[in-house]
Formats: sequence, C-alpha cells, structure tokens
Amino acid sequence: MSEPSRLHPATVIFNLVKGIKDSFFLFVIAFVSLINLHILYAILMIVVLVLIIAIASFVSWQRFTYHVEGDELKLEYGVFIRKKRYISKNRVQSIDLTQNLLHRIFKLVKVEIETAGTGAEAEASLNAVTLMQGKALRTELKTLGEVEQLEENHEEKHPARTITRKRLIITGATSGSIGVILAIAGAVSSELSRFIPSDFYDNAYSWVVGLGIIILVMMIIGVFILLWVLGIVGTIIKYWNFTIEKVEEDIVITCGLLEKKHITIPMKRIQAVGYVESLIRQPLGYATVIAEIAGGSNQKGEDFSTVLFPIMKKSEIDNFLTELLPNYTVNQTDFTKLPKRSAKYYLFRTVVPSLVLLIAALYFLPQLTWIPVAILGLSILLGLLQVKDSGYALEDNKLTIRYRNFNKVTMVMNHKRIQAFNKKQHILHRKEKLATIKLSIVGKMGLGKHYHVKELDLEAANKMADWYSYRGV
Amino acid sequence: MRKPPINMISRDAIKAWQITAILYEAIVWILTIVGIVLHFVIDFPLWIVAIVFAVSIVSTYITAFLIPKLRWRRWRYEVFEQEIYIQHGILVVSRTLIPMIRVQHVETKQGPILKKYDLASVSISTAATTHEIPALSNEIASELRDKISTLAKVDEDDV
Repeated sequence: MSEPSRLHPATVIFNLVKGIKDSFFLFVIAFVSLINLHILYAILMIVVLVLIIAIASFVSWQRFTYHVEGDELKLEYGVFIRKKRYISKNRVQSIDLTQNLLHRIFKLVKVEIETAGTGAEAEASLNAVTLMQGKALRTELKTLGEVEQLEENHEEKHPARTITRKRLIITGATSGSIGVILAIAGAVSSELSRFIPSDFYDNAYSWVVGLGIIILVMMIIGVFILLWVLGIVGTIIKYWNFTIEKVEEDIVITCGLLEKKHITIPMKRIQAVGYVESLIRQPLGYATVIAEIAGGSNQKGEDFSTVLFPIMKKSEIDNFLTELLPNYTVNQTDFTKLPKRSAKYYLFRTVVPSLVLLIAALYFLPQLTWIPVAILGLSILLGLLQVKDSGYALEDNKLTIRYRNFNKVTMVMNHKRIQAFNKKQHILHRKEKLATIKLSIVGKMGLGKHYHVKELDLEAANKMADWYSYRGV
Repeated sequence: MRKPPINMISRDAIKAWQITAILYEAIVWILTIVGIVLHFVIDFPLWIVAIVFAVSIVSTYITAFLIPKLRWRRWRYEVFEQEIYIQHGILVVSRTLIPMIRVQHVETKQGPILKKYDLASVSISTAATTHEIPALSNEIASELRDKISTLAKVDEDDV
C-alpha cells in the first residue's frame, strides 16, 4: 500500500450525514427565519446549505489520502491548510475497526489508530475503507516483525474466550445503574407511604386520590424496571458476542450487535491489568477484567479503563490471565493486608461525610433522620470493607495492589510500567508508622493514572520503595 | 528510601516564596483597608472589620513567615545515576522516586520573582507525571537539567 489512496467514496455520504446532523441548529434557524418571507426562500436556503455541506464533504474526501510507507502511516488531509501526519508503527497503541449500520450496508469499516498522545480523539481516523483494506492496514501496522507473520499461516489455535448468552444477561442485570435504581426506588416507595395520612382513605374522594398515589408509585417502579431492562438490552447490544483472542503479540477484541467493534491492542502497550468487583457483582462472585492502555480516546463516558472481559467468575480469572496475559497473573498467595491500626483512618474518611449529613439532617429535616442514620451505618461498613480488602503483593517484577473505593479493584503492574513511585506520610502516620503510596502509570488520553494504597505499614511501603528503586537497598 | 535525599534547595527560596505570599496577602489587606474606610464613611460594623483584620494578620504570619521556612527545611532532592529522589511537604511528607529511564523531558523555568534572586525551577516529566524542584540557583538548575537530560535514556518499549 505504498500509493496514497483515498477513503471509500461512501465517506462523502457519511460526512454529509454527519455535517447535516452537526449543523442541525443552523438549519432550524435558517428555516424559521425565512419561512415568514416565503416558503420557497426557506426551502432554497436549506438546499443551499445542504449543497455547501455536500461540496465540503466531497472536497475533504478528495483531499484525504493515506498510505503506509516503510514504518510509517502517512495521512495527508485538509482543505485550506494542508496537513500531513506521519505516525510511526512503533508508536501505535491500538487499532480499532468499527462498523455501524451504514458501514455494514456498504461492507465498509471505520479504522481508528491510537497512539499514546494526549487528546480525546484518535490520532488517525479513517472513516470508511473497505473491509479488506481495513484488515490489510491492520496487518501492516501491527508491530510484529515479518518473520513472525509468515508463521501465521500455520493456523494454530489462538487462546480465546467468548461470552455466553447467559453471562451477557447477567452483565446487563448487574451493571452499575441497577444499584442506584434500587436505592432510589426503595427510598421513594417508603417515603410516599409516609406522605399518605392514615385518615386519607376515609371517604371515597380521598380513596381515589390514594389510588392515584398508588398508581404513581407503581408507575415509578415501572419506570425503574424499564430503565433496568433498557440497561440490559444496551449491554447486550454493546457486548454481543464479546470475544477476546490472543493473536501472536496482540490482543484482539471483537464485540457488538448493531455496531461491530474490532480492537487490536499490541501486548507491549498494556500498562496494567486487573479486575473490578462491583458492589453488586462481588456477592455473586463475578468480576470485570480490565486493562490500562496508554493513550486512546475516551469514548462515550467509558470508565477510562479498557474492558478485557465484561464478566467472569472470579475463580476463572487466573486461568484467563495465564492463557492470555501470562505477564499479568494475579498473585493471590502472598497478599499482605493492612495493619489493624490503619482502620481508623479509613473509617474516619468514610464516616465524617455521613456524620456531617446526619447533623445537617437532624437540624433541617428531623423527620427524615433515618436516611442519614442508614447512610452512616453503610459508611461504617464501607470503611471496614475498604481496610479489609486493601493490600499488595510483590513478586519479581510484578506488583499487585488491591483497594476499594466502592468497587473492589485489583491491579497488576510491571515494574517497568510504573512511571513514578510516591510515598506520603502525615504527622499521625509518622507516629504510627504508616504510609500512603501512589503509583503512577500512563493512562487514557495520554494522562497519568494514579493508584493509591492508603495507610500501608511503613515497613511494607519501604519494601515497595526498595523494590522500585534502581539503587538497590 | 529510608534516608531522606541530601541536597537542599537554595535558601533564597524562602525570600521568593515570601514575596509570592505577600502578593497574595495584599488582597486581604486591601479588604481590611476598605473595611476601615467603610467604617468611617458609612458606619460599617466594626466587628466585621476586626475579624478581617485578625484574619489578615494570622494568614500573613502563616503563609508569609511560617510556611516558607518549614517548606524550605523539608525540601530535599538527590539525583542518582539511575533515578531522581525528591522529598517535600510540611504536614504531609511526600517522597517520590523517578527512574531515569522513565524521564521524558526536563526543563528549567524562571519567573520574575525567581529571577530577582537568580533562581530557577527544574521540572521533570515522565509519561504520566510532572515533578518540580522549585528555587535552585540558576547555575545549579541548568547543571541539573543537563545532567538529567544526559542520564535519561528512555526505554525502547516505553509507552
């Protein structure tokens, strides 16, 4: 692919559609302001606007070329200002192929190439190329050497995992929103019954009003159930047929029902791997396996980490990691927990905000005191869980840390991926020989991602520092 | 990591920080003056003026006289062949290790206040973090920058 080539002509249509969508307000304003003059003017204005956007999308398509030359992907684009962007193969963090419905009609694919650079957008985004070209581009840009590529013909079985239908439904049913919904539904339904005075049902008129309230409650509950079901459907569409595969030195993820995604992540680019046990999934024994990959755009409010597998029994994780990411197996055996004396700091942090809430509630809304009291109880529980769960394990070049804010997070990182190590102690810490550590790795959008383990035993923190230090002890 | 780093930053840092703090404190002092004037002109309640005055005194003492000294006393750094070691903090003591192979770039900076005392700060960036050693003498800062820049050889496979 040394000749500069254009994107598929369908890009013009895509750009046109997108252009019209983005300037929708302009259309409305133009239409509304001209309709008073004459309907024809308004229609003419719309036609002109569409034409302008059409010409702009045609020209930008015509000006956009890409080709791979040597070790670089070269893009040339821009209508008034000509831009050339060269991306070195060695710097590519991930290659995503996405197909939405429009793409699928034309058998096309969108290619997004990401490097570690800062910014929300992908460094190179080819809106529409044929599936063949997309795949060819991917093989060309993959970091592996040519010798290894020849071996690919052997068709050996790659380690892979696919999500089952049942698990997919569980993923949706236990996704974050359910907890919030349940809490709100609980609070609302119990609150509403308090607002109905007992003598309300005394006469027929009030009975109807009472019925109205009951219907209201039913409707609210109905809405929550609907939201929950929508959440499940959303998850199913998003993670449909989620498959993760290890091909040579890359991790390949495919998923999606309406919009097919195909993500290629070179293994070398992975900064940390771990799993998250959310409050709802933990009691069921499920966890989400995630990875931290440098750079990358932050899409649709994803919680920053890349999902390696949406749901998995905790007991299956070891096997999964051994097969796919042997450098990142979680060390479960030598886990060092926090000393007992750190518990008070954790409790302090979780209890103080809810105490403030309680005092405020006592003052302003004494009849609703039970809510902050319940929150206080939960925050004590959370604090205790946080101490119980936090800890670390050191093994050769690998550090496993575990902590909890709400969800329990276990992360494994390699020595060479940690950019800086920080140890903090305040006065009380110094007296009690405790220390908080901070590990910085490269995260999404080229920003740093920092992991904290708070109130470790000082000895442990020093041990970690010595492990990290290049000076030796 | 048990021993603190050995090098201290320039003693003039205290003066530079004091000037910065005083510039900020000027805001509360202006408020105090405005309060006094208002008291005489429109009979603004005296107790509010008194509180603002007290706050001005206490905060000026703390930020301009106490903190710079404590901060300076704690600030240490040491540059080894393989890594950089930094300590700072007043109530919370923070110690950071930055391996040389993780350093992406170093730069020296000098604002007008630092320039007055012929000082400069050195900031060290990795792919994830930035660390600043404030207020070194200009000469040492340049030396340090060049030294770190020669020692920092980023890994082939970094990021």
